[in-house]
Amino acid sequence: MADEKKESKPLMTGYLMSTQLLEIDGCNRCQECMKWCPTFAVRPDRPGITPMYKNAKWRELLAKNHSLRAKIFGGKPLNEDEMKLFTEDVYYCTTCGVCGTVCEAGIKTVELWEAMRPNLVDRGNGPYGKQAFFPKLVRADRNPYQGKQEDRLCWVPKDAKVEESGEIVYFAGCTAAYRQQALGVATVRILNKLDVDFAMLGKEEWCCASAMVRTGQREVMAECAVHNVDALKDAGAKTVLFACAGCIRNSTLDWPRWYEGYIPYKNVPLSVFLRDKLRKGEVEYKIPLNYTVTYHDPCHNGRHLLHEIGRDWAFEASRECLESIPGLKFVDMVRNRELQRCCGAGGGVKAGIPDLALDMAKARVMDGEEVHADVIASTCPFCRRNIMDGRNDAKSSIKVLDVVELMAASMGLDMTIPENPYTKYQEQDVLVCGPEVCKVETIERKAPGKDLVGEAH
Amino acid sequence: MAFYTLGLTFNLVILLTVIVLAVWIYGIYFNFKKWGLGSTGYHDQLRNSFWLFIATWIHEAFKDGVWVFIRTIVLDVFLLRRTLARSPVRWVMHMSMFYGFLTLAALSGLGLMIDIVEHFNLLGLAEQAEIAKEALSLPFDIFGYLLLIGATIAVSRRILLKFVRDNTSAYDAFLIGAVFLITITGFYAEWLRGNAFLVGNAFEYPLYAPHFALIHTVLALGLFAFVLPWTKYIHVIATPMTLMANRGGE
Repeated sequence: MADEKKESKPLMTGYLMSTQLLEIDGCNRCQECMKWCPTFAVRPDRPGITPMYKNAKWRELLAKNHSLRAKIFGGKPLNEDEMKLFTEDVYYCTTCGVCGTVCEAGIKTVELWEAMRPNLVDRGNGPYGKQAFFPKLVRADRNPYQGKQEDRLCWVPKDAKVEESGEIVYFAGCTAAYRQQALGVATVRILNKLDVDFAMLGKEEWCCASAMVRTGQREVMAECAVHNVDALKDAGAKTVLFACAGCIRNSTLDWPRWYEGYIPYKNVPLSVFLRDKLRKGEVEYKIPLNYTVTYHDPCHNGRHLLHEIGRDWAFEASRECLESIPGLKFVDMVRNRELQRCCGAGGGVKAGIPDLALDMAKARVMDGEEVHADVIASTCPFCRRNIMDGRNDAKSSIKVLDVVELMAASMGLDMTIPENPYTKYQEQDVLVCGPEVCKVETIERKAPGKDLVGEAH
Repeated sequence: MAFYTLGLTFNLVILLTVIVLAVWIYGIYFNFKKWGLGSTGYHDQLRNSFWLFIATWIHEAFKDGVWVFIRTIVLDVFLLRRTLARSPVRWVMHMSMFYGFLTLAALSGLGLMIDIVEHFNLLGLAEQAEIAKEALSLPFDIFGYLLLIGATIAVSRRILLKFVRDNTSAYDAFLIGAVFLITITGFYAEWLRGNAFLVGNAFEYPLYAPHFALIHTVLALGLFAFVLPWTKYIHVIATPMTLMANRGGE
């Protein structure tokens, strides 16, 4: 019965702007996207997942009801098997956006895929796999990890100074709060060390809702966006610092689409803020880090924000931070900056199609090995999680850390995570430092079982 | 007049031209209406309006001001900057085909105008029109060769490069094959007339020149009006419009 209903339901053009329908016809099949697509690189037997074929298929499906033939002879119902395959193709995409960067027709592909997906959700074909849990979890707990909102700051060291309001606000994000607390601790320690008066929202910080927008489930978005913007305004924020690529992407690009009022603050990547401190000579390093480190540009604060914040903020600030660390040898991977290879965690792929995410992560680890890196550094907790999984699966010795943690370690700051209800869920590489030398250790997860949805965006 | 053969007359050709243009214009209107099915903004309601598509397109294209719009037209539409950034060979191919086709189409339009002037002896300019028509033959040849270079690169890439060949669909093959065929028939018609640019009288056979010219014209107009707006080849129109709407893209 349900299937019959779907059969008779036309593919909707809802959520697509008229200029996006134009874009679909603008694809000239130059094949450039196929050469760069990171999912196609690990699934070469499925050309249907590449932008060129997805556009062609969408056009074909649209033509069933909106072509000259349909106008003369009447439209045709969509074949459900065909729709199932097409849904898979649309969701086998991390929305990394490299296709948009290389597209000769200038198609804004990320926005296009993100506009296609809600149609499939409305139609009952999407989302994919465990992605369907995202809205339920966020609606119930305001975060996707089933953590308690009052525990948002449970990892903050007792001696750390964090205000409840102020002009500078650090928006930690759900992953730093519940799963990668080493990042949160490093951030708080650095800001304290640099005498930056900053506030955190605590239980008023809700999930940024990135995973939902990426997977076409927009219904929770408005609630999260409006709440977070209002909470930041109430806290008196003028500068909001983000150490999470997914959060800053959403805060910069998506929240303003859902928030009708004036947004008085500026979103700043933490690496940019720290780079400014470096340039002013306020950062003092104590311990050299004798590692060869490469930088993985997260899609979300790289390519996605490039046109909002510029190349310098998107790509160079993090590199400058890394290069400033004594003893550290920085080396770029072959694919870097706007042409980097996505780690595979984005677009809901980590939650929906984990084997695809894992294969992509392994490909990125191989990129790191190719340049003989000891450490892959990033500024995105999701990239970090996925690259670590790829590293483990590939049995590589590469370590995966955040830029902020490397800086904090070299500054000789205490990065011990206080015991808290989420300690048992921590699973990450951390820097353990003595007075003169630091080494990387891996914290194994102590609690059995996996999260309902992976650390994904 | 030797050009009109197989029972075609001047009046019939004009009538056919009007029909072809009408079909083409309706095809473009049809596509604009299809694009108008979308909304005018993010998460906005659907509009299903031809005019609102135009309004949305203008809004998007001029979002960053007139200068960005002009820069996009010059660098991205006319100079194909994004293609050059990815592949110089493909850039040469696209530039040759783009300017070859565009100029030949413009010259054909101009030729038709001159034909009309000559036929009706408008303002008593029939003789001058005849001279002007002769003067057009050199640019026709030059831009014809330009198009031929582009079409040859396109066909060669599809045949010689494995990755490109593997991902070539029937659609791609048809379009490139059609462009190649139109170019070749145009040249052959020209060569058959004799005293042709570069080849001289090597292929001279004036008796059949009009027949080949007719085949060339039918193929070109057929592709222009009966294929282009109704298939994925609408990208010829949609790609530049996309570049302008997205202010050059990411």
